[in-house]
Amino acid sequence: MKNIYNGSQILVKAAMKASVGFFAGYPITPATKILENFALESYKNTNLIFLQSEDEIAAIHHVIGASIGGKKAMTATSGPGFSLMQEGLDLAFACSIPLVVVNVMRQGPSTGMPTKSSQGDLLQTQFGPHGDYKSIVFYPNSIEEIYRITIEAFNASEEASSPVIILLDAAISNLYETIDLKNRRVKNVKHNLIFGSLNRHLSGLVTDKNGIPETDNFKIYKAWIEQKFKKITEVSKRYDYFEYIRSKNAVNLIISFGPVPRFISISKKYSIFRPITLFPTSGKLIDISKKYKKIIVIEMNEGQYSFYLKSFIKRDIETISITQEDLDPDKLSEKINEKI
Amino acid sequence: MKKYKALKQERMPFNWCPGCGINIIALKLSEFLEKNDYTNKNTAIISGIGCSGRFAGYFNMDTMHTTHGRAIPTAEGLKLVNPNLNVIVVCGDGDLLSIGLNHTIHSSRRNADIKVICLNNSIYAMTGGQTSPTTQKGWITQTSPNGNKYESINAYKIICKPFNRFFARITPLSRELFEKSLYEAFSRKSFSFIEVVLPCYENDFRRNGSRNPSLALKLFTEKYKDVGYTENLKNNEIGIIKNHGNKR
Repeated sequence: MKNIYNGSQILVKAAMKASVGFFAGYPITPATKILENFALESYKNTNLIFLQSEDEIAAIHHVIGASIGGKKAMTATSGPGFSLMQEGLDLAFACSIPLVVVNVMRQGPSTGMPTKSSQGDLLQTQFGPHGDYKSIVFYPNSIEEIYRITIEAFNASEEASSPVIILLDAAISNLYETIDLKNRRVKNVKHNLIFGSLNRHLSGLVTDKNGIPETDNFKIYKAWIEQKFKKITEVSKRYDYFEYIRSKNAVNLIISFGPVPRFISISKKYSIFRPITLFPTSGKLIDISKKYKKIIVIEMNEGQYSFYLKSFIKRDIETISITQEDLDPDKLSEKINEKI
Repeated sequence: MKKYKALKQERMPFNWCPGCGINIIALKLSEFLEKNDYTNKNTAIISGIGCSGRFAGYFNMDTMHTTHGRAIPTAEGLKLVNPNLNVIVVCGDGDLLSIGLNHTIHSSRRNADIKVICLNNSIYAMTGGQTSPTTQKGWITQTSPNGNKYESINAYKIICKPFNRFFARITPLSRELFEKSLYEAFSRKSFSFIEVVLPCYENDFRRNGSRNPSLALKLFTEKYKDVGYTENLKNNEIGIIKNHGNKR
């Protein structure tokens, strides 16, 4: 039987299916609904511990603490809160602590337009923290997909022993759709890190294998950071999701993600590629893009993903930069027709 | 050093400077943990950044060296999902009373059952001796060459006054008082705060004229009067606040 859920509700359902044991967060529009739904869930389900933190910096560190304490843990926030969480993400990356952060993007910069959808935090997920950093980033765009991807995000985070980001936006997290949750069998990777058993030392400092700080030895640092990047890239290959709607004989390829492709009408003139795993970007995109003369990225920011893709597929890319106002089939096809 | 079983022998010696009291605190804490059967199966230590940040790594148990000021939220998350674990936080005054003061107050408000040891040397020592929130008014540091202009923070008032949480103040040389306050803190199911006042010889006392590390430590601790169990602590007193924090 199908039931109706919105984005925040289904995210909580999926997280519970992935056996999440801890949620900490701080109210922020438009991610507050996720916080509220987790609070509600923690009353019904004693396996879930819920904490409303004093700020987002505390929230991410509460999550880190819970993760080293032996539970799968997550937090949800929006742009300004995500900025505050960067130091915690960096720490979790350095110490190999698995966790999941949901960022419901809103129109920035700064306080911006808090209730409006945007895709302005794409590059912050990769380049936000200081130092070299890499994380797997998913961007689902339907209720069915949020359910599937949330569970996969936890699995990817456990396998990579590193933070994983789920990007949403106001439009997707407030979306209502039906879904059938009966008889679903999902993969559930176990959480292995439990404090109170061994003599581990986790540190934000560069350490050797025994956890002894090695702040003078670049050889150790180099080997460590290369191995970390390699591991995340390897794990991401198992979580390489995208949707590719191919039109025969089309010479244009439109790359778009999140709510935007839901408003792009199917046409003979172009094919549509929608990455669900935004970072690390699917290697298949390089082969697919070779079949097209023109590549157009449509995104709700000033061209962040196309900036990144230019170096990834080593080609020139046209950008259609839109706002939430342009989420309309007629407006979008007008803008596309201008470019092709 | 062999007799300190809670310490990692391969990590010795400590990296702290002569005249610093942190090493004495580490040895005393190790003795206490061993004597009362707090082992790697039931205890974890979380530390912040700076000289005190290195504290956690010397102990034979699961430990974590977090970011600046965020040891308390990390420890609180750990304790929430793992209620049988004894969680000790070791941080400096910069961690707990400046960048992480927010967390100190809010964890105290939520009465998180964590044992906080605040190594208060009234200065940012690892970065070379800048003014900290506990630096006395008038004291000369690298960032206040004409003397510190501002009042200092008193941890006792922040912990004891709003929510009546357990508080003790000790010096590195008041060994019995430290053992007693650790015992009191561990027998409570409450946010517990032990403030260790200690000198920073290298970055603070040497610049202000002192020439002998061990003498500086001795003279520093002699300024404090041991009042044992008490209801009120003055600025120049060390002791344990009685009847604060819920007993187990």
